[in-house]
Amino acid sequence: MATKKILLVDDEVALTRIMRLNLEQTGRFEVREENRGSNALRAAREFKPDLILLDVMMPDMGGDEIAEQLAEDPNLRTIKYIFLTAIVTKSEAGSGATEISGQTFLAKPVKRDELLAVVDDLIGD
Amino acid sequence: MSEESIQSGSRATPAILLVDDIPANLRVLYESLHGRDYKLFIANGGEQALEVARKSHPDLVLLDIMMPDMDGFEVCRRLKQDPATAGIAVIFLSALDDTADKIRGLQLGAVDYVTKPFNPDEVAARVETHCKILRLERQLANRNRQLELVRDRILSSMAEGIVGLDADGRVSFVNPAAERILGVTAHDILARELSDWEPPTLPQVIRRVLLKPSEISVDELTLPRPNASALPIELRIAPISENEQVKGAVLVLRDLSERRQVEAKLHRTSDELRESHSKLQQAQMQLFQAAKLESVGRLAAGVAHEVKNPLAIIQLGLDYLEASLQHDPVATEVRRDMLHAVSRADTVVRGLLDFSRERALDLRPHAINQILKESLKLVRHELTQRNIGLETALSEALPDRHFDADKMQQVFLNLFMNAMHAMDHDGVLSINSALTQVTDADLGTHARDTGFAAGDRLIRVVIEDSGPGIKPEDLSRLFDPYFTTKRQGEGTGLGLSVTRNIVTLHQGSIDLDNRGGGGASAVLLFKPDDNNSGDKKNPVGGR
Repeated sequence: MATKKILLVDDEVALTRIMRLNLEQTGRFEVREENRGSNALRAAREFKPDLILLDVMMPDMGGDEIAEQLAEDPNLRTIKYIFLTAIVTKSEAGSGATEISGQTFLAKPVKRDELLAVVDDLIGD
Repeated sequence: MSEESIQSGSRATPAILLVDDIPANLRVLYESLHGRDYKLFIANGGEQALEVARKSHPDLVLLDIMMPDMDGFEVCRRLKQDPATAGIAVIFLSALDDTADKIRGLQLGAVDYVTKPFNPDEVAARVETHCKILRLERQLANRNRQLELVRDRILSSMAEGIVGLDADGRVSFVNPAAERILGVTAHDILARELSDWEPPTLPQVIRRVLLKPSEISVDELTLPRPNASALPIELRIAPISENEQVKGAVLVLRDLSERRQVEAKLHRTSDELRESHSKLQQAQMQLFQAAKLESVGRLAAGVAHEVKNPLAIIQLGLDYLEASLQHDPVATEVRRDMLHAVSRADTVVRGLLDFSRERALDLRPHAINQILKESLKLVRHELTQRNIGLETALSEALPDRHFDADKMQQVFLNLFMNAMHAMDHDGVLSINSALTQVTDADLGTHARDTGFAAGDRLIRVVIEDSGPGIKPEDLSRLFDPYFTTKRQGEGTGLGLSVTRNIVTLHQGSIDLDNRGGGGASAVLLFKPDDNNSGDKKNPVGGR
């Protein structure tokens, strides 16, 4: 079972760290944190992740804009991504991920089990 | 009649008929009057006098009494008998100087008496006097006629109905307006008594005025009419009295129907104004509410972002620590409490977001019982923990209706949670659903505002608890945003407000009240779907 690479993009340093720790705890993922939205694309090019967890609301560049640029780049467009958002409620998102306008969303605060289930669903073996 | 014609009438030369069987007397009379401005006729006997009078209509007759064929008295009597000649003034001429004769002549209608042998100047003077009287009488009659015409014209053109009554209460005059108002013709009522008129007030009042002459007004009287609809009228009756003797009365009738119509119209207009004013106020309230919601929405999004990130960190942190703490039972307990706290904080923020968001409903046909059961599943665990019993009576006969199942689940969850919080431990949560004809007891203010009425066939869901009930002073504020009866930190105060919003979006109603036997009860009402909406899926004919 190959180790999958996950890029976490969120301006909240403590959040990317605890997400990384949870993911790494499984021993199945290699995780990199990026706390500036504007650095997300460069990080993606360097790290070549299988999945990006993308915060929607960030001060310098939002997750939606990053997603658009991912789609425009032929080298990056195959990378899967999930939005993390604070303003989609759980009753809208349900437990686990939900699709809104074709995009996968995870509502904060996300539980570890939900996070792992969604990640496995997208890039699991 | 014009002023000119009155004057020309008065200027017409008087015609005088001289009657005597003795030619010498006739000559004396003729000479006394000849040369003056008179037109003279002569007759030498009674028969001839009558004939000339009928043909020439003299103004005055100088009539000899002692005549062989017919005496003057008889001539006078016949003249007065015939309406065509009755107006001719008669002056008797006779040798008789007898008071009894004079009186007899005057009784027969003569105006004067001249005894023979006459003094021509006296005859001329008397004739002139009487011609003057005649002229004045005619002028007076003309003026009278003119006044009557003017009066009739005024009375005819009046909007008020005028009815003249004589001393016995018989109708002597009716103007066209009175005919219209009373719904009769003058012909029908002239010379009739009004004693049998409807309503009985009318003859009563008339009788009173005729007995004790004083004016009486009746502000409003409903007048039933023979061949027309009843009419509201204002009535005034004034007596006509002379020397304190009642000669009759005048009724003035004013038709109030037009005024009533105008008043009714005014009334309607003012009602409409009041209604549009209240609609405006309502719209203003809604705008205000919307503006409040919008600012709450912006605030909520900001708060959510600021709170949910730290919550996510704590949540995932606690998840991460699970493995390290699993051998320490106290730490595990502490961790569980912390997770619970995160979930509670999340609920508060979610409530805020739900409230601020007016998401369009995702309406699909659902069995409301199914939504109730799904919602119950989510609280079953908590019910057991709190030792709260569950009683359900869900009617099998409920039709599917368009609901947003998620939103309705949120509604029921909210109500279940409120009920459980109210009971705390022990008690019974009872849930009842039915398709029923609602009664007044089912209808709260929201139901009535929604337009539901007793007798409507509605889907009714009743959720009751056996808790302490709702304090009377709280009842009216339960659905206000941010109103809460829970302890600080337990509720956002948005639950019922959001709940009602959702129910309202479903065109339903929700009212809360205390049950007769203690505890609170929530009644939700929904109109079943029209049959038409079912047809959409299986259209009978193509278009």
